[in-house]
Amino acid sequence: MSSVPHGKTCWKSKKTVKVTRSYSTFPALNAWKEFRDLLPVDGEPNPGVDLGVEEGLLCQMVHSPEFNLFPDSAVFESNFVQVKKGRNWVNMYKASNTMALGVTSSVPCLPLPNILLVARVKWHQGQSQTWNRPSEAPDIILKKILPLKFVELQVCDCLQRVLRLRTVTEKIYYLRLHPDHPETVFHFWIRLVQILQTGLSITTKDPQILVTHCLVPKNTCSPSGDANSVETKPQASQPSESLMKLMAVGESEALSQIFADLHQHKHFSSRSSKKTETKKDKSEKNTPSEDSIPCTRDLSWRASFTYGEWERENPSGPQPLSLLSTLAASTGPQLASLIGNSF
Amino acid sequence: MAYAYLFKYIIIGDTGVGKSCLLLQFTDKRFQPVHDLTIGVEFGARMITIDGKQIKLQIWDTAGQESFRSITRSYYRGAAGALLVYDITRRDTFNHLTTWLEDARQHSNSNMVIMLIGNKSDLESRREVKKEEGEAFAREHGLIFMETSAKTASNVEEAFINTAKEIYEKIQEGVFDINNEANGIKIGPQHAATNATHAGSQGGQQAGGGCC
Repeated sequence: MSSVPHGKTCWKSKKTVKVTRSYSTFPALNAWKEFRDLLPVDGEPNPGVDLGVEEGLLCQMVHSPEFNLFPDSAVFESNFVQVKKGRNWVNMYKASNTMALGVTSSVPCLPLPNILLVARVKWHQGQSQTWNRPSEAPDIILKKILPLKFVELQVCDCLQRVLRLRTVTEKIYYLRLHPDHPETVFHFWIRLVQILQTGLSITTKDPQILVTHCLVPKNTCSPSGDANSVETKPQASQPSESLMKLMAVGESEALSQIFADLHQHKHFSSRSSKKTETKKDKSEKNTPSEDSIPCTRDLSWRASFTYGEWERENPSGPQPLSLLSTLAASTGPQLASLIGNSF
Repeated sequence: MAYAYLFKYIIIGDTGVGKSCLLLQFTDKRFQPVHDLTIGVEFGARMITIDGKQIKLQIWDTAGQESFRSITRSYYRGAAGALLVYDITRRDTFNHLTTWLEDARQHSNSNMVIMLIGNKSDLESRREVKKEEGEAFAREHGLIFMETSAKTASNVEEAFINTAKEIYEKIQEGVFDINNEANGIKIGPQHAATNATHAGSQGGQQAGGGCC
């Protein structure tokens, strides 16, 4: 997930933490460990590419001379099938029509992605829809570029690997991760959803600063009326309490350290809890609740939001981390605990 | 599909003037009376033929509502043509043209061809902006001008194609440096190979120029 094409300086600086611990307490994570042990040093195979989430078809298209968009930013992407709700999830289109969904940054040094890319993919008849290096490239058409602040991503159905994408204009899409993708890929999407909802330790350290990660109101008063009809499991998309505390106090290194020592994790949590609670109390008094924002077709009020540094188009200074390194560094034991709690 | 050139267009203008409908009419030949607000950018593409050459139009349909306009500079960068749209039934959309034009000129290359479009010409009874006013504005600012109706498809083809013709003429005149991608023009793979061959055998003749 972390190797970088030549010339992408921002991505070269990220660190790879080799983890030798076996997660006997978290059996599900042994698969992760095996994957994580593959994290590359320069010149070695790139597991992100092997998993089809990095340097994939969508990335190739937006970086191609035809678009030449965000050429220095990495793209995290996967292949999805658009589904609709029924007794079970029902495919909306023929099997040969899928969707590519990806996130990237308009400025490569932003700590979090700020762009969602949506493309339509049409596979040739009988073609294996393997996202990772298909034998013959499918037809892929870029349809939308959506600033992520106008989009809410949620994990809708973990078992069926369905994401719910809601725009600020109340368009709702249900997207099932393509069956050809391994489970690890969906775990990355879960982690991405968490990061987009809660930010990271590096995105804001000052509780006085209101950081609105997403401008889509939390109250789900969808005109289509279906926002609440699919049961979402909040635990699946909310970090554990200890992770929240870690996020509140930690430098990015702290997240990486989780892999090395779970005891260190506990130490960190207890050490940070007082500080976090104090900050929380303070910020609750000073920051308005998004829940109180009316859901209305008049969307002009959203322009009055304040933004965190990571959401700005051109940050005043370089930011140290990028999304994929963050995902790679932090999708670990905490993820397993989340999945364990939820399902 | 192989093309000789790719031209990047952007469609700009106030919210609700019919930008997305113009795109849909041009690419899919259909009209959708109710269209969701555009967030960010939506894309469309279509091949056209000019002077016997296949040209791919890559069209960026942008958000008109100020709060949904983000990463604006990315939209304008490298556009060869712009369709600046107002609604003939809403005077305010015409009044805002100067702001849109300043924005476009600030963030795009100076050679970008701009087509001013007075849309919704089918709604004659509700007209608030005279055709002559549109023509005068275009003349004053060096734009091409047309009135269109995305609903009836009147002049829609012409608006997109005439813009492409103007860009093509600028290429022929050598105004556009087609090797500079910041101009919003890309040479198709096959055409580039052909031009490279020509350049090699004819002493560097400019790509796109006719062969003797």
